[in-house]
Amino acid sequence: MLDILGNLVTGVPMTLFLTFGALLVGVILGIPICMARRSHHPVLSNLAAAVIVAIRSIPPLVWLFLIYFGLGSGILRLSPLVAALGGLGLITAVNMAEIYRGSLAAIHAGQWEASQALGLPRWSRLVEIIGPQVARISLPAVATYAIGLLKDTAVASIIGVPELAFKGTYLSQQTFKGLEIFAAVGFLYIAMSLPIAWVSRLVDARIRQRVAQ
Amino acid sequence: MNETSATDIRPLVLVEGLRKSFGSHEVLKGIDLSVQRGEIVAIIGPSGSGKSTLLRCVNQLETHTAGTVTVAGVTIGPDSASHDRELQKLRRNVGMVFQSFNLFPHLNVLRNVSIAQQRVLGRSQAEADERSMQLLTRVGLADKAKQYPARCSGGQQQRIAIARALALDPQIMLFDEPTSALDPELGLEVLAVMRELAEGGMTMIVVTHEMHFAEDVSNRVLIMADGEIIEQGPSREVMQKPQTERARQFLSAVRDR
Repeated sequence: MLDILGNLVTGVPMTLFLTFGALLVGVILGIPICMARRSHHPVLSNLAAAVIVAIRSIPPLVWLFLIYFGLGSGILRLSPLVAALGGLGLITAVNMAEIYRGSLAAIHAGQWEASQALGLPRWSRLVEIIGPQVARISLPAVATYAIGLLKDTAVASIIGVPELAFKGTYLSQQTFKGLEIFAAVGFLYIAMSLPIAWVSRLVDARIRQRVAQ
Repeated sequence: MNETSATDIRPLVLVEGLRKSFGSHEVLKGIDLSVQRGEIVAIIGPSGSGKSTLLRCVNQLETHTAGTVTVAGVTIGPDSASHDRELQKLRRNVGMVFQSFNLFPHLNVLRNVSIAQQRVLGRSQAEADERSMQLLTRVGLADKAKQYPARCSGGQQQRIAIARALALDPQIMLFDEPTSALDPELGLEVLAVMRELAEGGMTMIVVTHEMHFAEDVSNRVLIMADGEIIEQGPSREVMQKPQTERARQFLSAVRDR
């Protein structure tokens, strides 16, 4: 049993890599999507809204099939890992865009007005004044999403990315010890989730203590 | 920027035929106003009379529907046909203090006062911080430099906001009900700073409910109602012997409180 567990654990780095990779893609790509969604240009904002709804309404599993088997059949040769990162990253990006949009709405109009009245250039208003406040307000929601994403990475096993769920499936087929193996898999997911929740709470509390209003 | 010499007799602020509508509702119905260098103008009047909107048109936080706003030689026409660059030029000369302070909560007090000096005036961080410390000392808050705004009282936050606006060496300061969000006691410390600024010769337009400030500190009082200036003149005259019935009503209503 111990060597099985040892074998399972080798899937953990891939799961973490997928989680944080997709999160990174999403956190960055979410910014332009959010900006497009909030654009005064009706074509741009409607297009962004449509993209957000479309991507959010289709299950991650279907997205991975679309990208890996759909795009992958002739148009683009994608490795399972790239397809999974792309699919999960895209889904994360539109969700981040919506989280940012909510956070932006929570920022007092006076923050924009003060930075305009001071004559701060546009980049500074966005990067130094509004951005950090959006990040702070978004943090708890992003952490919650990250934990959800950690579990969603299991769908990547379907297209053969050797992460935790993939290893579990493979080993259970080899050994016929499904219960023990998947219990261990579940335990490992818990073990990965807890630190994310813990770190996010710690950071949030620290910022809150500093800037609490 | 050389239009700042003391002998310049042109008004620092000139508002001509200013109109502003929100949808079909006209909140400013043709305002003319000129403010000379060193003048302190108080704008009073009932809520909804358009005083704050007028003030916000001066630095173009609100665009206007018709007329022009000129500050220190920079003229802005209706509906922000003007470029960003013109707006920046105009705002460069105008400091603004808000009712709700609007300090940046994620920056400490010193950064709040320094950041625009660096980004707008191109001062180095050391230069900016030095100037910030001078101003914080002047408003009595040098010891708060490393604190975050949330750790400061409302009165302190408003004094920091004044320092932040002054840090850009504006030619005119706009105050939008600067004490309305404060307990009377905390309001007094803000008024004291404003009084000191006035004595130092700063040009100021102050939208206020503080009748004492209007009467004692300002040179001129404007009373607004329903989007129009219904009365204006030297402070004491207007406050003590208003000519119009509407102004008399307003003043007796605020005094009876």
